Amino acid sequence: MWIMETDGTKVFKPGRSDWAAAAREAEQCDRFRPDDEDEWVADEPRSCYNCRYRRWTVRSFACMKG
Amino acid sequence: MRILVCIDDTDNLESLGTGQLTSVLAEQLEEAGWGRASYVTRHQLLVHPDIPYTSHNSSMAFFADIAPDCLERFTAHAESFLARESAVGSDPGLCVVDMAHLTSERDLIDFGRQAKERVLVKAEAYGLAEALGVHLTEHGGTGQGVIGALAGAGLRLGGNDGRLKGQLKIDSADGTVTVAQLLAHPNVDAVRTEQGDVLGAGERVRLHDKVKTVLLGGASVLLVQRDGECPEGGGWLNLSRRQLKQY
Repeated sequence: MWIMETDGTKVFKPGRSDWAAAAREAEQCDRFRPDDEDEWVADEPRSCYNCRYRRWTVRSFACMKG
Repeated sequence: MRILVCIDDTDNLESLGTGQLTSVLAEQLEEAGWGRASYVTRHQLLVHPDIPYTSHNSSMAFFADIAPDCLERFTAHAESFLARESAVGSDPGLCVVDMAHLTSERDLIDFGRQAKERVLVKAEAYGLAEALGVHLTEHGGTGQGVIGALAGAGLRLGGNDGRLKGQLKIDSADGTVTVAQLLAHPNVDAVRTEQGDVLGAGERVRLHDKVKTVLLGGASVLLVQRDGECPEGGGWLNLSRRQLKQY
């Protein structure tokens, strides 16, 4: 589910639009913290896509608590 | 007089977001008796490896109508507010446009468009701000936020970018409302489909999840789609957060 880049950055492998996978990952994550509601993009409230600690990249996002 | 305010890059991973700070600033403008602020809009800028940002690279903007003699006081207040409230490690920028003295709306709008497509640098932002007669200042860190602040002002002025901050609260016993009821809300100017079909006042819309509008044609628009769960097949449903992601 995750790609570890050489600089230690943890990138979400499924990309920006795998809603189910992002929700599953967030359910299992004890560091999930919802971002401001205005930055939410997933319909599932608990989703990595709605997490304060995700940093969007061109193709996916990096987990800043990885 | 009418002003346009935009701020960018005020947060870090643990702080209040830029959207919340923008809302507070808009509220303070009203509380001070300087004027009335409009709704706040969020504008997505380019995500690129060469652009530093906390998590999403978006800026926040609002229009305000203020008394002419309040412009200097508001701008000074906004500057000190950003310097004080911005998070450690952030690179805040502030843009205040006096609409009556903006020399080229087209150039400001074009800068906003460019910020969604290519990497811009501070010198370009400052150069354009000076040419346009726009207040643009940085308030900590690298000051990189001036790019997003100027770009966000251009995107808000263009009127075809971004989502409104917050969500609509509309009372309904059964979860459905008429278009007329929606249009009675101060932050809803139109109800239509993504294809541009405008709904009549009597049509019904089922509201689900968070109800948010987007900025299209200079208006706050609630986008809807056919409601597949409507038994008569004639109802409408607001777009979901996922569907609004592109705005």
